[in-house]
This record gives sequence, structure tokens and C-alpha cells, in this order.
Amino acid sequence: MTTETSRIRNFCIVAHIDHGKSTLADRLLEVTHTVLDRDMRAQYLDKMDLERERGITIKAQSVRLLHDGYELNLIDTPGHVDFTYEVSRSLEACEGAVLLVDAAQGLEAQTLANYHLARDAGLVIVPALNKIDLPAAEPEQRTKELANLLDCDPREILHISAKSGEGVDELLAAVIDRVPPPVGDATEPLQALIFDSMFDPYRGVITYVRVQQGVLPSRARIKMFATRVESEAEETGVNAPEPTPVPELGPGEVGYLVTGLKDVHQAKVGDTITLAGKLGADEPLPGYREPKPMVWSGLFPADGSDYADLRDALDRLKLSDAALHFEPETSQALGFGFRCGFLGLLHMDIVKERLEREFDLELIATAPNVEFHVFRGDEMTIVHNPAEMPPGGDHDRVEEPVVYATIITPADYLGAVLGLCQERRGELVDMSYLTPERVEVHYVLPMAEIVFDFFDQLKSGTRGYASLDYEPWGYQEANLVRVDVLLHGEPVDAFSTIVHRDKAYGYGKQMTERLKELIPRQLFDVAVQAAIGSKIIARETVKAKRKDVLAKCYGGDITRKRKLLETQKKGKERMRRVGRVDVPQEAFIQALRVDDGGSAKVKK
Amino acid sequence: MNSTPGIYVHVPFCLTRCGYCDFNAYAGLDGLKPRYLRALEREARLAAPSWDGAEIASVFLGGGTPTTMDPEDLGALLRTLRTSFDVAADAETTIEANPDTVEEATLAGLQEAGYSRLSMGAQSFDPAVLRALERLHAPENVRRAFHAARAAGYANVNLDLIYGAHGETLESWERTLGETIALAPEHVSAYALTIEPATPLGRAVARGDVPAPDPDVQADMFGLACSMLRDAGYGHYEISNWARPGYECRHNLGYWRRQPYVGLGAGAHSYRHDRRWWNVRPPEEYLATVERGELPIGGEETLEPGDAYLEEVFLRLRILEGVPSSWIEDGRADPYVASGLLLDDDGSLVPTERGMLLLNELVLGLGAGGAARTPL
Repeated sequence: MTTETSRIRNFCIVAHIDHGKSTLADRLLEVTHTVLDRDMRAQYLDKMDLERERGITIKAQSVRLLHDGYELNLIDTPGHVDFTYEVSRSLEACEGAVLLVDAAQGLEAQTLANYHLARDAGLVIVPALNKIDLPAAEPEQRTKELANLLDCDPREILHISAKSGEGVDELLAAVIDRVPPPVGDATEPLQALIFDSMFDPYRGVITYVRVQQGVLPSRARIKMFATRVESEAEETGVNAPEPTPVPELGPGEVGYLVTGLKDVHQAKVGDTITLAGKLGADEPLPGYREPKPMVWSGLFPADGSDYADLRDALDRLKLSDAALHFEPETSQALGFGFRCGFLGLLHMDIVKERLEREFDLELIATAPNVEFHVFRGDEMTIVHNPAEMPPGGDHDRVEEPVVYATIITPADYLGAVLGLCQERRGELVDMSYLTPERVEVHYVLPMAEIVFDFFDQLKSGTRGYASLDYEPWGYQEANLVRVDVLLHGEPVDAFSTIVHRDKAYGYGKQMTERLKELIPRQLFDVAVQAAIGSKIIARETVKAKRKDVLAKCYGGDITRKRKLLETQKKGKERMRRVGRVDVPQEAFIQALRVDDGGSAKVKK
Repeated sequence: MNSTPGIYVHVPFCLTRCGYCDFNAYAGLDGLKPRYLRALEREARLAAPSWDGAEIASVFLGGGTPTTMDPEDLGALLRTLRTSFDVAADAETTIEANPDTVEEATLAGLQEAGYSRLSMGAQSFDPAVLRALERLHAPENVRRAFHAARAAGYANVNLDLIYGAHGETLESWERTLGETIALAPEHVSAYALTIEPATPLGRAVARGDVPAPDPDVQADMFGLACSMLRDAGYGHYEISNWARPGYECRHNLGYWRRQPYVGLGAGAHSYRHDRRWWNVRPPEEYLATVERGELPIGGEETLEPGDAYLEEVFLRLRILEGVPSSWIEDGRADPYVASGLLLDDDGSLVPTERGMLLLNELVLGLGAGGAARTPL
């Protein structure tokens, strides 16, 4: 038996990072007795180790809460700008959203971005100020700000403390009261939206679905619209919060489906599931789109003999990560590897970390880049890899992706924010004061300028007070050039990059200086150069080595001497050859290192 | 090649520990000296039977600072070695001395006891360099000790020098070489200062308190030593060793020509028939083992053909005897000959002065330690 739609409420919580979303979810599990006290642990819904460590949600989850005779489906949404599309699909599965705002910090960029997404998806907003028991909380000020944004009566804004549980019952009552029940006809052909899809090593692909209309029985022959794949579904169920089988999911209900598929690419987020054969629906639900990588980087095994292991590891990760793209790439300097596409830098970090942690691989990642469009006459080439860009300006024009960025900053730091955005080639769209102290700024910025260290710079320029969110905003022409790095006249493909012409010299100088320190002295002077086409823009020299011998071979300890030579020999064997120059593994790793958020630093 | 075995005796006692030294040497263990002497004599008697029939061509007392021991005791030690082993009548017998621990009377005693070659740790004639090396002696002590050695009858004296310490300039090194040559020793060893991690100096460099030696400056210093010593009539016969003709150190040449040797004392190394073994390093452990009547062996290895080949190649290059080009895979030596690091001397590859400084590169580049070759 499915629940009457009038007794169902589907809702999510949207919030800026650290505004208490996971804590509120924990509290809801507790007050509705969905999780027994003794089983409770912090961030209950965050399943991956990485999620818990980083304090972010990577995968969307749903959980069924039973309260006052109502079935409340809480759909947790990913909390990072890399996963905006996944957020939008999760919102499609809801009728309402709790907009959670830190009573001390107030509105932030993600609050606004998520609010706009939720509003655009037609969701009823239940606003709540969290952390009202913090000494630094300013409930009145924040209530005003929030009421202003929502254009609502300040009395509609709940005051809660997810940590202590204060106000949480009232919040549940408000969700039941204000969020409309889903509508959907059980007799219509099945349409179920996939808002998350994951791979379980034992059960295969498990999707999280929201049934819009029709009924999804526990065992049925199902069909995916986008991929046209059919399968025998094995089980339907709900998370309560542990997976609990149910005979079927009816209209408006949210739950999981064990699809019987073995590859997440066959059941993608945003796709619609229906029944196979003539009982199936004719049309999918609107809004599906292919996950599109935004950031590209070459991943190479530090030890070339691990290539096959890296390929197997990527194949296995891809089973559970539909957004991960990869294709084989050969680098003269780094050997065989893969050019990988990611949703963003966080996604890249997560994939790299999982490859290293779960598959025990040591990797070299080339500097990440965005996707460029290179035009020659009418012909457009998509460039994911700087090596594919014609050198020396042999093209008519190049376009780069731009984003529409929302930044909220205390007015005191407005100058710093505008300065940073100008420096990053941004174009100001508009600016408005949320309160006399806080400003909302919109910029169109090149994605290449924003995905790497922009956020760090923004934070350090505003003492951590500014917040940022952005969404893709198409392509725009720019004066971009490919900068190559040459060792002893030989280009090192792994160090090539595409940058704005004004920044080419800076990149060239930074790389040549860095490599000068990292490349061991050879038997001859090694020129380290940066070039645009045939034009050298920066140069350093690694002077020839003059002495490597150990002075003493004294006393009878020949063994130690021989072992030292053997160690050196092993070190030499691990080096990569670029023309005549031996380059240690470590030099590639250090030179290409992108530290937290992207600010590359030379290790001294 | 004739087998000319040597005996090495290690004396681990020092007045103080120098910051750069990672040898098996200790200050403040003087109380162990009587036991140590008895242990050396006992170890000699334990080890000797397996060297029956081998005529010993050299004896070398190193350390540590052997001259911290009483000359009469050292004489007794040499007598024990002569009664336990078959030491040739004309064997080269060297003792290392620290300029601070030798008076003319001591030196006469050592000469009397049968030590005919003296190796003195001068290190430098620049007081600043001596301080940087934490050597206690003053340059005058070196001159005085040297003259005392001559007065005691020493006609075969080596001076050890170290170059490239923090603060040493090329000019200072030139003065040290000049002062050395002015004393006219028969033998000069000049070592580039090497920073060993497990020493006070090594830790100071790791902390950044003291800069590491600049290899380019050391290369210049090496070049200066080569030319000044050559001009003064010394032959360059190992990377760091020069001698007047006929005064090359036979004992050390034995190591480098892979002749057998037996090491006595804490941490001493031995070699024979492709086997290398070494004594336990801590003096107390050495004493306890020998006192139980056991050989104090701490470890050993048997050389595989590839190991032996690698040793042969790097040692031959070090003593400038050259590696037969027939040993080397075709074409491997060419770039080094072309760039002036190796000389092809009628089928023998000998490092040039520049090549000597890049010897590790040469050894690895020539493919040594790769496929096991057995030209031996």
C-alpha cells in the first residue's frame, strides 16, 4: 500500500556551507525517532568517508521520516557549486525547501543561489534561522535581511537551533503545514525522476527516484528514457534511514530502486524511468541533460607500469560516477595516461583522492584547464588539452567558457572584491545592497580565472567574509595563447597551458623559476624556457653539474659506497627523459602541484 | 694479480668528537682502553688461523685516534699481530695521528715500536676552517707535530686535508695547499668535505644553520689541488690522494684493488673471496663478544658477479687505472670521451680531471651495475 499523496511531504534543505544542514538532518532523524538514539552518529546521511571528512555532501540522499501520521521525505542535496545540476534534479523531486540561514553569518552566496534554484523549481520556501543560540547570532538583523529577500512576513521565519533541537518541532509542523502535498495520478503511465544514482558493489546500480505519476512496483521490467536501456528491477524501498524494501512506490513517493543494471551510465541523474513495453509513458519528464565536464586534467601513473591499474581503477570509479569522463592520452614526458573531465576542481580532487586512496595509485596530474573552442574559418575545434591547441596563434579566434558569479561581501571589502574580479578579467553585471553593510555583486568571469585559486583569493581579500556561487554562462571570445615550456629546446607537453596573453609571461616566469629549482643539474647547461610559438618569453638556466663524486673511499667499507651508487642508479632509472634531460618524477609533481583551491606554490 | 692482504686495526677513541665525522669513534670511553687492547690481541688470535699462509703486506692503525693510546701498548699490539699473522718483514705499517696527541717522544716511541708510516690529520692551515670543522688544534700544532715526526725519524708521512668547509675560500685553500707543500710530506690526501646526515654538522645543515658546501666551489678547490700538487711533484693516484713516486699508500691501494684484508676492532671491515663482513660497531658489544671468545662479526654479504663488477669499475676509475673499453657496451663511453670526461688511453678508459669529479655519473653511465658481467 502506498501512502495517500495528501499525507506526503517531499522537501529538501538548502543552505550555504556550514550553516548547519547536516546537523539539522541529524536532528530531524532524532526527533522523529527515525534513528534510535543509540544508533545516532554525526552527519548520519553522509555515507562516503570523504564526505564526512570534508564536511560536504557529494551524493544526494533521501530519507523517510514518519511524523504525526505524515510521510516526510527529506532529500539531501549536494553542497558544492561543482554539483549544481545534481542540486537542480534533487529540487525537482520536492515540493518545498527549508532555506536554512546561519543567524550569525546571514545570507551567503550559496544561500541566494540555492534559493533562486528552489524558487525557479516552483518550491515553497520554509525559511529558518539556525544557530540562534550562538552568542554572535543577530536574529533580528538576519530576520529582516531574509524577509527582505523572500518578500515575506518576518513572522514566517522560524528560529531554531539544530544543535540543541530548539524549534525543530515547529519546523516540522511548518513543513507539514506549508509545503503542499505532491499531485500525481496512480493510474497514469509511470514517470519516475532519477535524482541520484550510485553503484553498489553487491547490488549494482541503485537509483534514488521520485515517482511523479503511476506506480513503480518492486519487480518490473523498466526502461530508461535517455539511454533506452531496459532492465529487470529487483527491489523498491525507502531509506528509514536504513534501506527497507516496500512493495511499490506510488505517486509523490520518494525511494530507491535496485535497477538490475551494472553501470551508472545506464541510469543517469535527471533521466526518467518508466515501464518497458506498452504500459510505459510516451514522454520523459523535462529537464534532463548530460553531465558536462568543466575542468580537464591529464592523470598519469607516477610509475608507468601502473597504467593498466589506473585504467581499471577509472573504469570502476566510472561505474559509480556518471560525471567522470576520461580518454587515453599520451604525453611525451609522462607516458601513457588519461585526459579526464570533471565537474569542477572539487570533483577532480575527490576523484584523484579516491584513485590514490581506494586503488593505491600514485598519480601525476597536469595543470587543470577548462574547455576551449578554437575557430579556424568556420571550423570549430573543442580543446580539452593544451597540446591540442595550435601553437603560435595559428587560428582565427578562441572562445572560453564564462560563468555568472554571485558574490556577497561585507561592504567594507567591496573594493577588494571588485579589484580581484577586475584583475581576473571580470565584467561587472550589477551590484545591490542587501543591507547597508552587505553587498551582492554579480560578475561575468572567465571560468578559467575562477575555478582555480579565485575562491582562496576572495576569502583572503575579505578576511573570509565573502561568499561565492556561480553557474555556467556560455562562451566568450578572449585573447588566449598556448604557453609551452621547453627543456634544452625540447617542449615538455605536460607543462603546456592555455592562458590569457596578459598572463602568459607570469605563467612562463613562474614555471621556469620553479623548474630551475626542481631539475637536478646535468652534465651540460640546461635552458629552461617558456615560449608562445617560437617566441621565448622567459628563461632560466640549470648550470651544468661539476661534482658528484664522494671524496672518500676510505677504510674498508666498500659496501656502503657500492650501495650508494646502487641507490643513485635506481633514482636515475625512475627519472623521465625529455630529450637529453633527466627529470625526476618529483619535479613533475612539484611543478604541477595545485595546492588547496589552486594557488600553486614552489616547495622550498 | 698477486694477493697482498692487509690488516686494518680500528681504535675507536678520540679526545673529542668532530662535528663532521661519522666514523665509529667516541670521546669519553678512555676507561675501556686496557680491555680494548686485550680484546684486539684476542681477536687477532681468533681470526689468524683462517689467514694461515697469507703473507700480510700492510698494517694500518686507524680510528678514531690511535695515538690516544700509549706507544708501548701499541708496540705490544703490533708484536701480537706479527706473532699471530705472517706479516712480511717489509710490510707497510701506518698509524694515524692527531697533531694534538703527538710529542716527539711519543713519535719516537711509535717509530721504535715498528710503525714506520705516519698519517696526520692536519685538515687545514686556516684557523677559521679548523674551527668550522671543530678541530681543536691550531695550524702551528701541525707544523710542530710534523717537524717532531721528522726528528723522530719518520721518512714517510701523510698529511690529510679537508676542503670546502663553510667559510673557506679558494684563497684560503690555496694557502693551506702552499703550507702543506712547504712541509714537503711524502703523501697528501685532500678530501672534499662531505656532509653526513647523522652528525652534528649534518643536522646543522639540515636545520639550515650552516650552509651545505657549494659543489662548484669544491670543484674549483679540487682543480687547484690537482695543479698545485702536480707542480710540486706529487703524483695523483686516487681521486683524493697524491704521493711522491714510490710513496703511494700500499694499504689503501689494497682496498681499491680489491685485495683481501682483515679488519680487527669495533666496526672494522674485512674482505676475502667475494665475501665482505664487518664487526659489530658499539665498542661495548665488541668487547663483550670477543671476551666470550667469539669473532665479533656484525654482518656480511657475498658479492654477486654484478656487485663485483660494479666495485671493480668504480674503484678502477677512482685509482685512475682505467677500465678496459672492451668491458663497456659499444657506444656507451663515446659521449663521455667526446665531452672530455673520459680519455681513451689505448683501449683503457681513464677519467680526466673533470671526469674524476663526475665519477658517479660515469660509473652509472657506463652501465656498471646493470647486466652482470664477469670480466674478473
